[in-house]
Amino acid sequence: MRKLIAILSLIVTAALVYVLDKPWGGVPALGRLLDPVNGCWASAEPVSKDFTANLNLTGVKDDISVSYDDRLVPHIAAKNDHDLYFAQGYVHASFRLWQMDLQTRAAAGRVSEVLGDKALDYDRKQRRKGMVYGAEQSLKMMEADPRSKQMLDAYTEGINTYIKELNYRAYPLEYKLAGFKPESWTNLKTALLLKYMADDLTGYTEDIALTVLRDMLNPEDFAALYPERLSGTNTVIPYDSIVQKASLKIPATPADTIAWAHLQADDFEKTEEGKGSNNWAVSGSRTKSGAPILCNDPHLGLSLPSLWYEVQLTAPGVNVYGASLPGAPGVIIGFNDNISWGFTNNYRDVKDFYKVKQVDNNSYWFNGVKTNYQNRVEVIKIKGKSDYNDTVKYTVQGPVMYDESFRGPGALKIPIAMCWMAHRPSNEVLSLYLLNRSNKYTDYTNAISYFLCPAQNMLYADKGGNIAIWGQGQFINKWKEQGRFVMNGADSSTLWGQKIPVAENPHSYNPAQGYLASANQTVTDSTYPYWYNGYFYEFRSWRINQVLRKTHHATVEDMFALQNDVYSVLAANVLPLMLAHLNVATINNKEREFLDLLGGWDYRLTAESKAATVFQVWWNNLYNSLWNGRFGKVPDALKPSPERTMQLLKEGSPYLGNIDNAVVYSLQNSIDSLMKLKKANRLEWYKAKNTTIKHLTKLPSFSYPELKIGGWGNVVNAAKADHGPSWRMVVQMTKDIEAYGVYPGGQSGNPGSKYYATFLDKWVKGEYYKLNFYTTDKKQTPTYAWTIHAKS
Amino acid sequence: MPGLFMRNLKPIIIVAVTAGIITWYMPWSMVAACAFFVSITHNLKPKDGFISGFLGVILCWLVIALWRDLPNEHILSDRMAGLLGLPNGWLFMLVTVIIGGVVGALAGWSGGMMNKAFRS
Repeated sequence: MRKLIAILSLIVTAALVYVLDKPWGGVPALGRLLDPVNGCWASAEPVSKDFTANLNLTGVKDDISVSYDDRLVPHIAAKNDHDLYFAQGYVHASFRLWQMDLQTRAAAGRVSEVLGDKALDYDRKQRRKGMVYGAEQSLKMMEADPRSKQMLDAYTEGINTYIKELNYRAYPLEYKLAGFKPESWTNLKTALLLKYMADDLTGYTEDIALTVLRDMLNPEDFAALYPERLSGTNTVIPYDSIVQKASLKIPATPADTIAWAHLQADDFEKTEEGKGSNNWAVSGSRTKSGAPILCNDPHLGLSLPSLWYEVQLTAPGVNVYGASLPGAPGVIIGFNDNISWGFTNNYRDVKDFYKVKQVDNNSYWFNGVKTNYQNRVEVIKIKGKSDYNDTVKYTVQGPVMYDESFRGPGALKIPIAMCWMAHRPSNEVLSLYLLNRSNKYTDYTNAISYFLCPAQNMLYADKGGNIAIWGQGQFINKWKEQGRFVMNGADSSTLWGQKIPVAENPHSYNPAQGYLASANQTVTDSTYPYWYNGYFYEFRSWRINQVLRKTHHATVEDMFALQNDVYSVLAANVLPLMLAHLNVATINNKEREFLDLLGGWDYRLTAESKAATVFQVWWNNLYNSLWNGRFGKVPDALKPSPERTMQLLKEGSPYLGNIDNAVVYSLQNSIDSLMKLKKANRLEWYKAKNTTIKHLTKLPSFSYPELKIGGWGNVVNAAKADHGPSWRMVVQMTKDIEAYGVYPGGQSGNPGSKYYATFLDKWVKGEYYKLNFYTTDKKQTPTYAWTIHAKS
Repeated sequence: MPGLFMRNLKPIIIVAVTAGIITWYMPWSMVAACAFFVSITHNLKPKDGFISGFLGVILCWLVIALWRDLPNEHILSDRMAGLLGLPNGWLFMLVTVIIGGVVGALAGWSGGMMNKAFRS
C-alpha cells in the first residue's frame, strides 16, 4: 500500500511537470515560460547593458565594425558588399528576429502553422492572392542578377548565423509566449516581405464594389459621384513639368458587351480606410540655407516592434543612412553623402479583376475555347491539426482569388480571377542596391527604374541643389477605363496589354514652383498621355501645397512644423456650411453646449481640442446621413469620397438631397455619442480617437494606448487609431548633411528592453532626433561597438 | 514551523544550488529532479522533502528572478504582470516562485514517500 502511494505521489509530480511543460489552448507552457533561468525572465535586459562585443563569425570575409550610438542605431562599416549585408542581416536578427519571422509568415500565409486554425482564413486569403507565387517570380529575377543575389545571399547568411547561435534561453520573448521557434531564413522570405509591402500598398479590391455601384446607379449619377478625376487637385507632377510624349498607341476600347462583367452584391464588410504618406522637397530658392530640404513621412500600420529599423551602412562605394525594413537588406528611405530620397504610395491601380466563365471544376471559357486551369495546391499546415489543402486555380489572367469556397467582397460566389503587378517578376532589391549608391540624378533614375511594384511617388533631392519626383512603377498601357471595373475574363481583348516604358513615367525635375509635394493625390493632369485610375486622396496634398506655396526661407524647423501640422482643410471648408445650414431657432440646449465648443475653432485637430472631436463626430454622422439612403450597405470607402462630398456640399448639389435636413439630423444624431464621450471625460480629441501603438500580438501590456497626439488621416500629421507617420524624416542637403528623424518605437524588438519604445515620446510630441551620419571626416565615438572577425 | 525550516536548511540550500546550476544547461523541469533526489539522498521524510523542495526551488528562482529583474528596473516583470492582469512585477515574481515552489514541493514530497515506502 505504502509503495503504491509512493508511486502515486511520483505520478502526481510527473503529471504536474507535464502540465506545466505544455501549452494548453491559448495558455503558454507556464513552467517553461516562468523559469527565471531560461524563460521569460531571460528577456529582462539590464538597463545599463553594455552591448560591446567581440564576435568571431563563420562566413564573414574581413573585419567588420558595428558602432552603436546612444539610441542603439548601428553604423555598420564593412570592407566589401558581402560583409556589409551579412552584418545587416546579423544585426536585424539580433534585435528584431521574431518580427521578421512573423511578418514573412504572414506574407506567405503560414500563420496557422504557429498560431492554430484561427488564422486559417487569413492564410487562405494570402495563398489565393498568390503571395508566394509572386515572391517566387521576383526571386528568380533577383537571383539572376549578381549584385542582388550577393546582397540577398549575404543577408540571409547573416541572419542564419545569428539563429544558429540561439538556444531556447536566448529566443525572443514572443517565441516563448506563442510556443514556436525561429526557423532558418531564406532569400524567398526577403522576397515575401517585399511582396507583403506591395500587398499593403497596392492590394485593394475596390474594383469589385465599384462594379456593383456602377451597375446600381444610372450612368450620369455615377459619373457625378465618382468622377474619374477630381477637379481642383494639386497633382504630384506640377503643371509646369515637361510633358511626356507617349511612344505607345493607346489601345482601342472593346465594346461594353465584351469588356465588362456585371455583378450584384450588397453584403459588404466594413473596409479599412486607405493608407497614406507625405513627402515634399523644397528647392534652395525657397530655403534659408539655400540648399534643398527633403521631407518624408510614410503612414503605415503603427505597431511594436516598429516596421522600421534605423541603420547606417558603409562599405567601399556606399555610405547610406536611413530606415531599413527588418527582413530586407539595404536602406529603404534615407540619404547618403550626396542625395536623399523618400517615398509615398502612388495609388495608381495595378490590380484588376476578371469574372471567370467557368465550364466545370477544371476549365473555363477563354476566347470561345475550353481552357484548363493551372492548379497550384497550397498546403497550409495548422498547429495541432492536420494540413489543409487549398487548390488555387490560375487562369490566363492570374489566380482565381474568390469562388464558392472562398467568397469575395459582398459575399460574391462567382469565380473572380485577379491580375496584379505584384505577380510579375521585379527586382526591387537591385533598385535599393543602386539607390543606396546613387550620387547624382542620373544614378537615381537608373536605380528607381528597377522599382516596379508597389508603385511609389519617389522624391529626390541632392547636394547640387536639384529636386525631382517620379511617379514610379510598372504600369500597363490601358484602354480607357480598363480595370476600373471587373472585366469579362472570357475574352482576350480585356487582358493587360503592353507595359509602358518606365522612362515615360510621369516626373518632374526642378519645377519652376520651387518645390515638389506628394501625399497620395492624383498623379498627373490631363497632359499625361496614358490612361489610369486609382484611389487618390487630396486633403493632405491641398494643405501641403497651401503651406509650401507661401514658404520662403524655409528652415528644418518649418518642415518639422509642417510634418506635425493638424489643420483640417475639410473642416475649414465644410464646418461654416454646416453651421449655415442650421436653423438657430431649433437648436436645443445640449446641442448648443457642443456647438459653443466650435466657436472660434481654428480647424486644427490638436490633441486637446474638444472642438475637433465635436466636428469629427458631427461630420461622420453627416457624411453617413448624406449617403446612407443611397448606399446603405456599401463599404464606407466606396461611398463618394469625402473630397467629392465636400465639393458637392459647396455646390449645394441636388445629389445630396435635402442638405438642411441632413445637417440637423446628423447634429441630433451626434449628441448621444458626444454626451457619452463627455461623461467618460473623453471629449479631448486624442482621447476620442485613441491612437494606440500595439504590439504585433495585440497584448495590451506590450502596447501603448491613448497617445496624446493630434491629427487624423486627412491632415498632414496623419495619426489615426492604428495608422500614422511611421518614420518622419527631414534632410537638409547642405555640405554637411543635416538630417533629423523619429519613428514611433525603438531599435530593440524586445519588450523587456529599455530600447523597446524609446522614441515614442518624442514622436508623440512632434520632436526629432538629429541623426548621426558618420562620414570619413566626421568620425564619432560610439556608445557601444561590435568588432566582428572572420572565424578561422 | 521554525524547527521544520531549520532542520532542513541544508537540503533547502542543496536543492537551490543544484537546481540553479542544472537548469542553466537543462530544461526547467530538472528542478523537480533536484528536489526529488535531494529528498532521496538525504533520506528525508515526506514532510521534510516537501519543505526542502518548496523552499529550495523558491530560493533558487527568487534569487535568479531578482538578479534578472533589478538591473532591468522591472520593465519585463511589469509587462508580464500586465499579461496576467496583475498590478505589478513583484506579484509576477511571486507567482513565478510559487509555481516553481509547488513543483519542488511535490517532487521533494514524493522523494520522501519513496524513502518511506522502500527504505524503512
